[in-house]
Amino acid sequence: MKCGSNLEKVILSGQPAVTAELGPPMSADPHEVIKKAQILKGFCDAANITDCQTAVVRISSIAAAVLALREGLEPVMQMTCRDRNRIAMQADLLGAAALGLKNCLCLAGDHQKFSAAGRLKGHPGAKNVYDVDTCQLVGILKKMRDEGLQEGGDKLEVAPKYFIGASWTPMGDPLDFRPMNLMKKVNSGADFIQTQGIYDIELFRSQMEKIRNMGLHERTAILGGIIVPKSAMMLKYMDSSVAGVSVPKALIDRMAKAKAAAGEDKKKAKELQEQEGLKITVELIHQVLETPGVKGVHIQAIEWETAIEGIVKAAGLYPRPTFPVE
Amino acid sequence: MIVGTQKPIDEIWSMVRDSKRVLVFGCNTCVAICHAGGEKEAETIATLLRMRASQEGKDMEVNYLSVMRHCEPEYFEPVMDEVKTYDLILSTACGVGVNFLADRTGTIPVYPGINTSFYGAVQQPGDFTELCGGCGNCILHLTGGICPIVRCSKSLMNGPCGGTKNGKCEVSDEVDCAWFLIVERMKQLGTLEKLAEVLPPRNWSPSTHGGPRRIVIEHLREIEQQEEKKG
Amino acid sequence: MSGESVKEKRESYLERVAALKETRPYSPCRAACPVNTDVQAYVGLIAQGRYSEAFEVIRSVNPIASVCSMICHHPCEQACRRCTVDEPLSVRHLKRFALESSADYRRSKRKLVQKTRNKSIGIIGSGPSGLTAANDLADLGYQVTIYERHPVLGGMLATAIPPYRLPRETLQEDIDDVVAKGVEVKTNCEIGRDITMSDILKGHDAVLIAVGLSQSRSLNIPGVEGPGVLLAIPFLEDVAFNRRPDLGDKVLVIGGGNVAMDVARSARRFGVKDVEMVCLESAEEMPAWKWEVDEALEEGITISHRWGPKAVKREGDKVKGLEVVKVTSVFDPEGRFNPTFDNSQTKLIGADTIIITIGQMANISFLKDSQIKVDERGRVVWDPKTHMSSVNGVFVSGEVVTGPGSAINAAASGHRSAMAIHLYLQGEKIEGALPTYEKEKIAALPADVAEKINREPRIKIHHLPPETRCTAFTAFEFSYDEEAALKEAGRCRGCGGGAVVDTKKCMACLTCQRICPYGAPVVTAWSEIRPEFCQACGLCAPECPGEAISMVSYDVRELRDTMQSVVGGVDPMRQEPVIVAFLCTHHVGVQGFELQENVRKVPVHCTSRIDVIDLLKAMECGADGVAVVRCSDNSCKYKGIKNRVTARVSQAKQLIGMLGIEAGRIEILTADAHDRNSYAAVCAEFAGRIKEAGLRTAKS
Repeated sequence: MKCGSNLEKVILSGQPAVTAELGPPMSADPHEVIKKAQILKGFCDAANITDCQTAVVRISSIAAAVLALREGLEPVMQMTCRDRNRIAMQADLLGAAALGLKNCLCLAGDHQKFSAAGRLKGHPGAKNVYDVDTCQLVGILKKMRDEGLQEGGDKLEVAPKYFIGASWTPMGDPLDFRPMNLMKKVNSGADFIQTQGIYDIELFRSQMEKIRNMGLHERTAILGGIIVPKSAMMLKYMDSSVAGVSVPKALIDRMAKAKAAAGEDKKKAKELQEQEGLKITVELIHQVLETPGVKGVHIQAIEWETAIEGIVKAAGLYPRPTFPVE
Repeated sequence: MIVGTQKPIDEIWSMVRDSKRVLVFGCNTCVAICHAGGEKEAETIATLLRMRASQEGKDMEVNYLSVMRHCEPEYFEPVMDEVKTYDLILSTACGVGVNFLADRTGTIPVYPGINTSFYGAVQQPGDFTELCGGCGNCILHLTGGICPIVRCSKSLMNGPCGGTKNGKCEVSDEVDCAWFLIVERMKQLGTLEKLAEVLPPRNWSPSTHGGPRRIVIEHLREIEQQEEKKG
Repeated sequence: MSGESVKEKRESYLERVAALKETRPYSPCRAACPVNTDVQAYVGLIAQGRYSEAFEVIRSVNPIASVCSMICHHPCEQACRRCTVDEPLSVRHLKRFALESSADYRRSKRKLVQKTRNKSIGIIGSGPSGLTAANDLADLGYQVTIYERHPVLGGMLATAIPPYRLPRETLQEDIDDVVAKGVEVKTNCEIGRDITMSDILKGHDAVLIAVGLSQSRSLNIPGVEGPGVLLAIPFLEDVAFNRRPDLGDKVLVIGGGNVAMDVARSARRFGVKDVEMVCLESAEEMPAWKWEVDEALEEGITISHRWGPKAVKREGDKVKGLEVVKVTSVFDPEGRFNPTFDNSQTKLIGADTIIITIGQMANISFLKDSQIKVDERGRVVWDPKTHMSSVNGVFVSGEVVTGPGSAINAAASGHRSAMAIHLYLQGEKIEGALPTYEKEKIAALPADVAEKINREPRIKIHHLPPETRCTAFTAFEFSYDEEAALKEAGRCRGCGGGAVVDTKKCMACLTCQRICPYGAPVVTAWSEIRPEFCQACGLCAPECPGEAISMVSYDVRELRDTMQSVVGGVDPMRQEPVIVAFLCTHHVGVQGFELQENVRKVPVHCTSRIDVIDLLKAMECGADGVAVVRCSDNSCKYKGIKNRVTARVSQAKQLIGMLGIEAGRIEILTADAHDRNSYAAVCAEFAGRIKEAGLRTAKS
């Protein structure tokens, strides 16, 4: 046991792990985090608390993670390389551990350019940091945890104990480099991996075959990413515009058909598509979990946290395992 | 070479508006090649400033001049007397030139006419691309000759982020993903397996993060100092 | 530009370019001209409608400019690099057009030159050589006296060139230029008859003998003595002074040179229907210029080639004809004149009059009592390096010493002798100090460049039909009208007037090498723009970021620096917008059409030469609108121009936009090069648009 988090325990138990996602608000009001935590609690083993995703300023991942923890939901704090140099990162990691956080997912982070989108002005002119990258951050966490050393080599009297995660885009360009990319993260010390959303199960399985050939599935716990589709439009958008995500035409057609069945009724169209989306999600969860080498799923119901309960139940993943308190 | 771009005329005007005699002073090396601050651009800016002065009813004399380089003092010498007759010098050299000249003009202000952008190459006429960040610690031998520090939007050192799409960066379809290029190039070179190694966090101190940089070549300085003593 | 002040930079600009030309290989036309007339320069000026300046360029080196505009054998045309594309430029006709178009200006410029030297020079003979020397020496401030045995000045030009080739009023323009400088003229003054040689020698500080070759050679064949056999020069003098000899019905001219042509064609103009020429040479070997031969044939003159004169046959006194013998060869294997005959082949060519035109020689009998040495073959002894005869202070020039040649060659000799006399009188060394006209020239047009040049045959000159022109001695050749002249001038590729790099400013950036449509620049440590490739379009100069490239001829900076005077005063109360229109000279010229008064035209060699700065400058000088009027693509003289000019106009629009000036005030317009009115039309339409948009006002 590296840190003793619930997520680590579920994975060690050999049962499929379920993680969800909680996006903090653009506000100093803690209630939204508390509300979302209550909705998710009991239906996932841990929930990722995003770190200013799309570079939009929100309650920090650490603070929101502590709020969730207080509600009894185990958080996975996220840490991007975009906003902090190695000094701030390590300081935050020490502080977060001191506050009781046990899971940390390392990512590069979306470029600040994306903060200006829709009605948001964001901070596209911000300076990004990228003092270290994802691999290096994973290595820093591991060094702190296992060697009790800071990146610079100074000793830590009490080392932070994290279950170290990293993101992985299995189907991004350049496709044949992606397995090596995962290997580097694993070599650096990633205990678990959460992947980018998977719709193209065939392609995912072929990438996983390479991962298995490299033996990586035994050295890290790969949780397949599931993004809950809400509409045909969303699927089309993800297919065309989200890097590393391709959506098979058959899935888009299914959603389109659901929409068409509602005729002119917009409200009904929304309902029918959401129903179809939930069906698709459950199918995808099964397909991902049936893929050899996969240890769980990471379900992202973006701004639709209420859907998690139904999905997890429909997928036969409820109730979530519990472990006696030490 | 150093690549720059001209500043908007409004911004330049705000610098010079209260002067009577302005010299637009071009540099005929790097910034000339990128059509930002050579003699031609200096003349163009001088013309625009005269037009602006006339629009605003200001009595302003604006001339232009250029020398080959603004980063070595000998190039200034023949024109320095002339330069010092102006109230204000708008330098269209890179920031190096502006700093360097400003050290030599006493009470006459030297202001920048261009924005100094990056170290780049001429991909094709009119197309200048940043290819080096001057980070002071080159790793191009590890990345197939393609710099991830300036050519990756996130300066990632161990591979691409998840934002690569069709070989392009998530920041823009116009920007190549450096890591896509690195992987392709190293495949071509047969050295892809080199990328398996995790590059550790980097020492950024030879870059600007280590404070202002200066390189002193001891053996050359020694000779110069001996000559100075003799002289 | 380092080291030069801003002020110096402006002032030295034109001089710098002029001096540059001297440091570079000459255009082939200029190098071929015996006096190095800068043909490329004046043709370009003609193309821009700058006729007075064209005259100045011509006259600066050639005091017999008008003469040459009619009779020059124009080696410039033979050297023209357009020969490898289609046909050479019609240089002589352009010269004639320029001189005729600037006649008033020329006359207004004639003035007395102050005599500042207190030395006098006597010149014997007033042909091209003597006249040129008189011109140069008068310019230098000497007192010059010309002695001419004929009642008119001009030597052979006045007395041996028939007026249908050289109208006397044309010759008179050249003579008047020289005489106006204050040259003393003594006509009807033959040495030995009216004055003695020793009087002349005593009367001057230096003397120039420039008497030419005024005596015809005769033939030593049976029957040549007696009536009915004439010599060329006396015959041509009869023509010159309008004395018609009795020629009978059939004239036979012996000889195949240019003088023979003059004689034969003059005989036709005296009304003789049957004029035949007989010469040793074949049609290809004849020394006469081909165009002279062609014109003679048009006029019904027949030529018997490869027959040599053997005897004049007479019946009593009266000539019956010429017995001729077949020529087997004219030149020996070394190319020397050495005719051989087949005596078995003879024939009789019937004739009433035979005129012998087999060459001229000098008549220097007036020297027989002087110290001036004459060699055993009757030629004045001289030193070509100093132009001096055997007597100190007595100089010789022209054909009397150089042998037969062209008028312009004689003028070149006149220039040299004048300089020799000047140096002599100043007590300076002559040898090595005389002008030389042998100059390095630009190499042949590379084949790949020639391929990129549009085929445009030269504009033909109209002649009177042969039947009409043979009735009188008036000129039969028409001059170009303005439209034709401008069009023809536009054919010039501007050899030697193209791009030149200031190596002090060039940073070897490759811009010029990348954009040149003809591959002229080669950039190493700096750019070298190879003149044999350069077509003088000027596309490169405005692109050069270091302003290191200028054009040798008509650099646009000339325009930029004078833009204020082109735009003129802009009346704040004006009702009509002030428009500056940059027009390509090659198709529109500048005179060929009328623009409305408020459109100020700026002729440019090609719109490719216009810089963004020129457009801004026009706006700075107060223009309400600026138009770049391009010729349609299919008629543009150059390749690859359009996109770059368009891009520059776009940039200028963007820049004035930054000043809050409407971008539409600068536009690129296209006109149909084959319809001159379309240039005026697009300008008028643009002016209308600008008027609608409103006039510019100063904020203040």
